[in-house]
Amino acid sequence: MRTLLPLLLIWFAYPAMAMQENDLGTEVQRAEGKEVYDIKCAHCHGYEGDANAVATSYLRPAPRDFTSGNYKFRSTESGELPTTEDIKRSIRLGMPYTSMPPWDGILSENEITGLAYYLKTFEPAFEGPYGNPTIVDIPKAPSYSDDPVHLARGREIFEANQCTDCHGINGRGNGPSAPELVDDWGFPIRPADMTKRWTFRASATREDVYRTFMTGLNGTPMPSYLQTINEEEDRWALVDYVWSLSRDEPDYGTVVSVRGQTGELELGDELFADATGTYFPIVGQIIEPGRAFYPGVNGIRVKGVYNESEIAIELQWHDMTAETEGRNHPDTDVPVFDATEPDTLTGGWSDAVAVLLPSRTPEGLERPYFMFGDSKFPMTIWYTDLATDSAVVLTGQGAGRITDNGVELERTAAYEDGVWTVRLKGSRTLGDYRMQESAFVPISFTAWDGFNAERGNKRGLSAWYHLYLEPMETESAALPMAKWFLIVLVAEVAIVGLVRFRARRRKKT
Amino acid sequence: MNLFVLLGIAAVMVLIQQVLTRWIQLNRIAWLGIWWVALWAAFSYGINPPLPNSIIVLFMAIITIALMAYLSADNEELEEARQSIVRFMVAQEYRIALVIVLLVIPAAVAAWTYASMNEAPQPPSSGRTIHPPPPSSITFAGNSIDLATANNPYRELEHTDEAAFAAHVANGRRIYFQNCFYCHGDNMQGAGMFAHGYDPLPANFNDATTIAMLQESYLFWRIAKGAPGLPSESTPWSSAMPAWELFLTEEEIWDVILFLYEYTGYEPRAQGMPH
Ligand code: HEC
Ligand code: HEC
Ligand code: HEC
Repeated sequence: MRTLLPLLLIWFAYPAMAMQENDLGTEVQRAEGKEVYDIKCAHCHGYEGDANAVATSYLRPAPRDFTSGNYKFRSTESGELPTTEDIKRSIRLGMPYTSMPPWDGILSENEITGLAYYLKTFEPAFEGPYGNPTIVDIPKAPSYSDDPVHLARGREIFEANQCTDCHGINGRGNGPSAPELVDDWGFPIRPADMTKRWTFRASATREDVYRTFMTGLNGTPMPSYLQTINEEEDRWALVDYVWSLSRDEPDYGTVVSVRGQTGELELGDELFADATGTYFPIVGQIIEPGRAFYPGVNGIRVKGVYNESEIAIELQWHDMTAETEGRNHPDTDVPVFDATEPDTLTGGWSDAVAVLLPSRTPEGLERPYFMFGDSKFPMTIWYTDLATDSAVVLTGQGAGRITDNGVELERTAAYEDGVWTVRLKGSRTLGDYRMQESAFVPISFTAWDGFNAERGNKRGLSAWYHLYLEPMETESAALPMAKWFLIVLVAEVAIVGLVRFRARRRKKT
Repeated sequence: MNLFVLLGIAAVMVLIQQVLTRWIQLNRIAWLGIWWVALWAAFSYGINPPLPNSIIVLFMAIITIALMAYLSADNEELEEARQSIVRFMVAQEYRIALVIVLLVIPAAVAAWTYASMNEAPQPPSSGRTIHPPPPSSITFAGNSIDLATANNPYRELEHTDEAAFAAHVANGRRIYFQNCFYCHGDNMQGAGMFAHGYDPLPANFNDATTIAMLQESYLFWRIAKGAPGLPSESTPWSSAMPAWELFLTEEEIWDVILFLYEYTGYEPRAQGMPH
């Protein structure tokens, strides 16, 4: 509805616009598009293009309803329809971190063109006068500048235009309005996390960021600033500020390397100050009943330090809101298919996090089943419910078979500007298993976003990764280097000496 | 494969052969040395993901032996090579070059010692068996299914009742897009939206080494029992493949199998042929 109003106004104001030819493709192209669509797209977007399809209820964001005419990615003014090229681009590149896959290289250029024309048939407005939308000119990006004055100007614009309201003061998607936002279809929607631009739906080159705030994202609360941010220089300052908040690609790792030290491990900033963290992807638990198809957390940064008897682990992840009320537990019951709408339930479930470790020495590659362990090989779970101020050690033999060991861990937890920082300290000995120096220990992580109704087995999880305990004292390489240098040199001199000796003797005779 | 590095190495070799030899006469030993270095560079930098050091050392040892054998195959050449080495060690005119070589070799060994001591330690890598032999029978919802003889009961509809067959495939499509594509991906290439978070990666059904070479009964076993049903050589504890007996009926599993073949265009391997 929201988009139709301005469209109607244009219809009455500029009847002459209808004279221009609309780009609707040929009958043959649309028919070819339909053929591909029914095989590759209909199960998500619906045979009628109305997103009424088998997969829809499992997906957030929901597949686009093409009969609405609302397209996020456009080169056209806010509220207007996209161009054929825009639609083709979305099909080619997909929408990262949603279920909309990229079709580049899978479908041919002709098929993609046919699809774009076919998608247009779902919205009659494409045939009318607004089928010729007003293009917003996106100039070529000047080269990136990290000049502090330029970036400070960008930040000023970011704050002055209330981007912070939704995206948060430091762009982590945690602004004060963020929890209440819904899209035009009534589904909750989260503002983008500017510190993870690889999750941007409509790509993340600097031109893309420019285009996003100039055109807005139709159907979402993300507005257009075409009329509000007028200076070209300011626009690029804003782009570069947003750009400066994130790396290009996530730095996912597989090993968290942990430094050793002697003496007490005092849980605090200082302890982890010079630890290098490792970032691990978190994805939905969709393996056992209580599946989480759209987890609230998509990555966790982990650091660690150990001493003779204990190990301290720091876990950091971005969360739109902190749920410090309510309760949670790995054993909390969840229905096989939990129909709770995401991001609507507050107060019921708290945020929580867990570190999962084997409960005995792994032999070879063997370890507990990564879904909370199994009866043959139980798992040690360091768990903390962030509505409480304690952390506990649990033993997991699978979902629904989790017991409390009665051991408490030392814990600190703080939520600040969209980031949870939780620190846990426990013994290096798990049952009869001691985490040895210079050894790799299997480790995995689970995070619950209470706001997203995650509890029990409905959670974000990671695969098995490794914790590596760096040796307390590293051997200096100088001595072995000198040793090998001398050994080789002496051997060489001996050989050369021998050869020369023989040569001289031969000459004499 | 790191194509650019490999092409670069080949280009350098051609340059040496075509250009350098106009000014400098390269004898057999020098050529063998150049080949040795080129192969080492190709193994070390030309392959992606990088080979472990121990494998490279092994390859280079084999290559060294091969090159020596090549050299010693011809007596005359061997003698020539021997003489040129002796000349290098004895003759006055090579004195400075000899001292340099005598220092460079131990320095290289020392540098190698340094590098190997500072190498980031590698976690144990998992050499998992992707397609273990299936059990002879499984129980599904209380019934025993003999995997050696089980057939997809709806497969024959393809020839007898097209409409019914299409209905089963459509049901398979529904099941796939409600349950499987998060991991196996829209195009069944194993690149679903959650695939990056799992290790091992979800199977790529377009690859000729997965469903194209498997029987439908094998797929039934894998889908019904998932990771927990795997033997330990296939690391059941780390695979994300769900045990679909928790969610799907027997008919639904046969339907989704029909859909996997329909969508990829492959034919299942016929029953009775070995896996
Ligand atoms: C697995 C489900 C799925 C499949 C299959 C799928 N899509 Fe999508 N598609 C989505 C979702 C979800 C969105 C919405 C993403 C968002 O809003 O961030 C979307 C969005 C889109 C958009 C909107 C882009 C915009 O600017 O708003 C287009 C166009 C599109 N899809 C085309 C296609 C075409 C064409 C196909 C088939 C070749 C296809 N999709 C297949 C799930 C799917
Ligand atoms: C009213 C809330 C709101 C305000 C104000 C707002 N945004 Fe957004 N923004 C959103 C939402 C919601 C999304 C996520 C849309 C989605 O996921 O489809 C978003 C997404 C984005 C994206 C990512 C686009 C993509 O491709 O996914 C960028 C970049 C962005 N906003 C920049 C800005 C800038 C710059 C400002 C201020 C000039 C701003 N936003 C103001 C709500 C807002
Ligand atoms: C949570 C992710 C996930 C989901 C969901 C999932 N799979 Fe898998 N699947 C995997 C992984 C990972 C593998 C590879 C490891 C293995 O063989 O266990 C795999 C392997 C398979 C294999 C074995 C292929 C081979 O070559 O041996 C089949 C068949 C299969 N999946 C079918 C399905 C079907 C059908 C569905 C939906 C009903 C499905 N999968 C859903 C993760 C998943």
